[in-house]
Amino acid sequence: MRITYRVLLVGGIPITIAAAIALAAFVLLNEADRARSGAVLAGTIYRNLLSAGSARDDFLETTRGDRTQYYELFRTYTEQARFDLRRLAGIVRESQHVEAVDEAAGALQRYTEDMRRLLDVTGRNDQLVVSMAGRTDSLVGMTDEARERQHRSNADVVQSLAESDRKLRVAREIVDRAHEFSAAISAVQLFRATAEDAAPAVLTGSVRFSFEVGRMRSSGMRLSEALRAAERDESVRDLSRLLLAYEISMTPTPDAALSDQAPPSATEAGRRLTDWVERLIKINATEQRALHDQVAELLTYSVLSSETERATQEIAIEALKRSNRTTEALTARDANAVQRIYDESSNLGTIIATLPISPLIQTEMVDAVAQWRTGLATTIEGLTAQNRILREMDATTRRMIGRSRLLNETLTRDAERISDLVGRILILGAAVGLLLGSVTALAVARSITRPLSRLQQSMVELSQNTRSGLIADFDRRDELGDMARATNVFLTEIGRREQALRKSKERADAALAELQQAQTDLIQAEKLASLGQLVAGVAHEINTPLGIALTTSTLLGDESKRFAKAAESGKLQRSVLRRFMERMGEGTQLLFANLTRAADLVHSFKQVAADQASGERRQFVMDDWLHDLLTSLSPVLRKTKHEVAIDCPPGLNLDTYPGALGQVLTNLLTNALTHAYGEGDAGHLEIRVSEPSIDLVRIVFSDDGKGIPEADIGKAFDPFFTTGRSTGSTGLGLHIVYNLVTSRLQGHISLYSKVGKGTRFTIDIPKAVSDPSADAAPAQSRQFERA
Amino acid sequence: MRRATVGVLAGLMALSVGAARGDTFVYCSEGNPESLNPQAMTTSTAISAGRLFFNNLVEFVPGTTEIMPSLAESWEISDDGTEYTFYLRRDVPFQSNDLFTPSRAMNADDVIFSMHRQWKEDHPYHDVGESSYDYFKDMGMPELLESVEKVDDHTVRIRLSRPEAPFLADLAMPFNVVQSAEYAEQLIEAGTPEAFDKKPIGTGPFAFVDFQPDVSVRYRAFEDYWRGKQPIETLVFSITPNAAVRLTKLRAGECHLSAFPNPGDRDGIESDPSLELLTQEGLNIGYLGMNTQRPPFHDVRVRRAINLAIDKAAIIEAVYRGAGVAAKSAIPPTMWSYNDDIDPYPYDPAAAQQLMIEAGLAEGFDTDLWYIPVSRPYNPNGKRVAELIQYDLSRIGIRATLMSDEWPEYRAALQAGKPSMALYGWTGDNGDPDNFLHVLLGCTAARPGGNNIAKWCDAEYDDLVTQAKRVSDQREREKLYRAAQQIFHDQAPWVPLAHSIVLMAARSNVEGYKMDPLGRQPFEGVGLSDK
Repeated sequence: MRITYRVLLVGGIPITIAAAIALAAFVLLNEADRARSGAVLAGTIYRNLLSAGSARDDFLETTRGDRTQYYELFRTYTEQARFDLRRLAGIVRESQHVEAVDEAAGALQRYTEDMRRLLDVTGRNDQLVVSMAGRTDSLVGMTDEARERQHRSNADVVQSLAESDRKLRVAREIVDRAHEFSAAISAVQLFRATAEDAAPAVLTGSVRFSFEVGRMRSSGMRLSEALRAAERDESVRDLSRLLLAYEISMTPTPDAALSDQAPPSATEAGRRLTDWVERLIKINATEQRALHDQVAELLTYSVLSSETERATQEIAIEALKRSNRTTEALTARDANAVQRIYDESSNLGTIIATLPISPLIQTEMVDAVAQWRTGLATTIEGLTAQNRILREMDATTRRMIGRSRLLNETLTRDAERISDLVGRILILGAAVGLLLGSVTALAVARSITRPLSRLQQSMVELSQNTRSGLIADFDRRDELGDMARATNVFLTEIGRREQALRKSKERADAALAELQQAQTDLIQAEKLASLGQLVAGVAHEINTPLGIALTTSTLLGDESKRFAKAAESGKLQRSVLRRFMERMGEGTQLLFANLTRAADLVHSFKQVAADQASGERRQFVMDDWLHDLLTSLSPVLRKTKHEVAIDCPPGLNLDTYPGALGQVLTNLLTNALTHAYGEGDAGHLEIRVSEPSIDLVRIVFSDDGKGIPEADIGKAFDPFFTTGRSTGSTGLGLHIVYNLVTSRLQGHISLYSKVGKGTRFTIDIPKAVSDPSADAAPAQSRQFERA
Repeated sequence: MRRATVGVLAGLMALSVGAARGDTFVYCSEGNPESLNPQAMTTSTAISAGRLFFNNLVEFVPGTTEIMPSLAESWEISDDGTEYTFYLRRDVPFQSNDLFTPSRAMNADDVIFSMHRQWKEDHPYHDVGESSYDYFKDMGMPELLESVEKVDDHTVRIRLSRPEAPFLADLAMPFNVVQSAEYAEQLIEAGTPEAFDKKPIGTGPFAFVDFQPDVSVRYRAFEDYWRGKQPIETLVFSITPNAAVRLTKLRAGECHLSAFPNPGDRDGIESDPSLELLTQEGLNIGYLGMNTQRPPFHDVRVRRAINLAIDKAAIIEAVYRGAGVAAKSAIPPTMWSYNDDIDPYPYDPAAAQQLMIEAGLAEGFDTDLWYIPVSRPYNPNGKRVAELIQYDLSRIGIRATLMSDEWPEYRAALQAGKPSMALYGWTGDNGDPDNFLHVLLGCTAARPGGNNIAKWCDAEYDDLVTQAKRVSDQREREKLYRAAQQIFHDQAPWVPLAHSIVLMAARSNVEGYKMDPLGRQPFEGVGLSDK
């Protein structure tokens, strides 16, 4: 068996057991967790239901305005309980639990519906209470109004009584005075009757008669005063007229006494006066009685009024009392008490209808009481309904709370049971796993360690001598066999690789040599290329003076032929001769000038080319040399608009390699022309020569072109680095410059450039190179080092 | 302001009670109605109270004696004047109460029931209640009617034994109200027929609530009244016999309308800005009736002596205080056929004494004199009038003892012929002289219970007034009535005392009240403004 398997076996047994335990524990713990969260939910539901119950109680206990708040609270609790129940339904599995949850959910549904009904019923009851209070208020209001009216009325009654009393006294006064007057008249009449036979003169003369008449007169005066006081002016006039007539009728005029014809007679006048007085008495006496009646009626009415007031007041008090009792009963939700109030008030309406209450409000009071009773009846129904709902709710609550508590308990118990189980499984499993694992591990360890120590030995031997042969045990089927086989393969492979390595080293060396050759070739080629360029430029420069010299010589040839002809013909004139001579002089001069020019050109080219080609060290004057170099480069420059300025101290002598220096400047110029400017630009290039010290020359080559990007500055001297590969640059120009300056010329070159401003090369070289021969080879190798 | 406060307090009740508050109308009436059944009524006190429940086939245009359709929408009269066909209004609902809820609208059965009840002695309701249908009888209806038939549910045909000129006016009179046959039937079934008149049911503007004698009659507007619901929700007749108390209540606002104030209080009422005095020349007469069937009043000389002995001027002056004129005939002077040629008995105690001597009553005699216990439009203060008469009579040796009774009993006593002398009076119920001369003095009404309280039956006179009923030519009738009045004067069954100007006092916020010449209190359409 393979070690892996064996190790697997060692680890596997406990792991498998642990995994099994873990799985079981996971499942069980999940179960327990579910049970526990179910229990928690059930507990929460239980609490929420209790809270809902107390919210409902608060809802009932609180005042009307605050009910909504408790209803909302109730709803919040029941909503939470409903939500929790739904969650619980998702948790529980046992059919018994599912049933309990379903039952609780159903009960909760009923519970909230009941609460909804309770809200309605309570709302109606509240409204009834309000309207009942309103009715009581209106009853009391009506009573107040009635009482106020009654007060006004009483004041009016008092006034009426006073007025009646005044009239009564006036009437009584009149009647009394009239009676006195009547008696006085009777006395007069009686006196006259008894003295019938006596002569009027005697009669009138009698003192007694005078007294009686006087008494009658003064009695009449008093009656007259009474009548005046009663503003009976007409009666006053009637009285005085009739009285006067009577007195006159009794006063005997001599004629009248004789003729006995005095109209009206005393008897007639007396009768009229008596009739008038009697009528006065009749009217006033009846008025007196009528006023008596009126006063009695008004008194009765005022007594009745206070009775009315009292009755009204009592009704109001009764109404208030009943209203209070009703409110109390309603607050206590005591339907029986309300029923009692209802029964007791059955005849209240009839009582009010029969009580002496102001008719203005009596009907309304009766109506109010009837409405109040109707309201009460409705309230009893409402209360009964409310109490029924409450009972139902209580039953539902008990059931729900019982269910949720049961759920809570059983679920908690389940959770605990499962936890215990998990604990036991863990301990047992751990023990078994440990035992089994240990035994297996021991066996497996032994089966591995022995071949392994053999292998170790072989390997140690092998490390001392690789060629000591292959390792045994390679025929084993386990990892040790694999290791032995692998070690053998490794040994074989090591041998093979050593050989291959040696061969490839040889190939690399050859390639390196080829590469070095190639580079040298390339540089040579570049050099030749610049020489070629030079030659092409020289050819062009020389062509012009030579061409002119050729044409001139041809013309001279023709002139001389014509002259010769003229001379031959003999017609040679002096003028012709002079002109011929002039022509010859001019031609010769022209030829000389052009040919000199050509010779100069060849000379300077020859020098440059020789310098370049020979690589010889020599002494030369710097400024002449520079001009020669520029002349040689003029064909290149003439194609462009650029200007090259030279600033060189005259007579500066250098002892160095002019070929190399020429190549350096040529390359710098070519490089600037190629890279620094765009097509058609007119650049300013400058070569400034100075002597910073006695033995040192500084050549500063600068342009005002594009400049080199900062990233490229460091690479500018590297071989084959170019930005103009596409235009045929090789990337060797500046590399060659570097090599020539640092090696052949034994100097330094530095580069300064700024994009958009231009580039400046500063070359410092010794005026005289030290050991020319010793320098050639190291320069070569340095070139390679940089590569 | 108070209403508004109550309204706020009452909250929910504002609509029910708050709105109803302003709509209680209290009428301070002068006395108890003798009945709630108009068939049993003769006094305007009762008629005012009772007719509010009901309607008639035809009614008087308010304030006049013109006839207008009511429960009968239209009618036809045969050419010979003896057959009347009435076409009834449809969908006229009856009121309901705790005993009865109508199942149908008014129809011909109700009209026939109402007439037959009074007419047919074997009618199951004829003997129910206290009524002996005196007015019906006084008007000669039993003899006049030949048949009352139902043609169909909404058509009634009435046949008369003879043409009767004022027949439509008779139908408009209170005793011819239309009652509910269905209610009557249900009460018989329930065994409580007497409730029929105690808790009346009609088609009228106001439904009965309750009646407490000496306190009030209460009404509620009939929601479905066919002419439209009344502006007043609750109407109360607050029974207040004394005029001074009535005025006090009116002033205090305890009532909105008060019957017959003391004429002496006219100025006080007129000067009060919150009150209004209403006056109308009444179609009435106040008189002293003498029981002509009882000695010594059977002797015309005694009756004439009494006529001469009473100082009417003093009565007018002391009691009517200018709101009345002395009477000399049995009908008011504003009524057609009034005989102004009659020479009234003067106030002449001496002549009276002479007649007494002639009658052999020089010593005078003892008698009883009944006075009206309540204010009447034709007599503001019966007791004082009686006292004045008592005084006058004492001068010719007649010693009258004053007597009285409660108003309904008083009337009953008079109709029964109990008093020897009694103060009474009449306000015309239909504007026809017949309503005075026949109803009050005809032989038909002289029977016990009849309105002829003098129990006077003069054949010659009766012929004249009976004949006047049958002719339709007014001039002919006038001639007959004038002649009858002359006989009345000569035979002197009454001492005609006065025709009054009827006074009413109202609070100034009463709207739509219009005095009725026929002496009823018309509350249909009356309301209260917000003043």
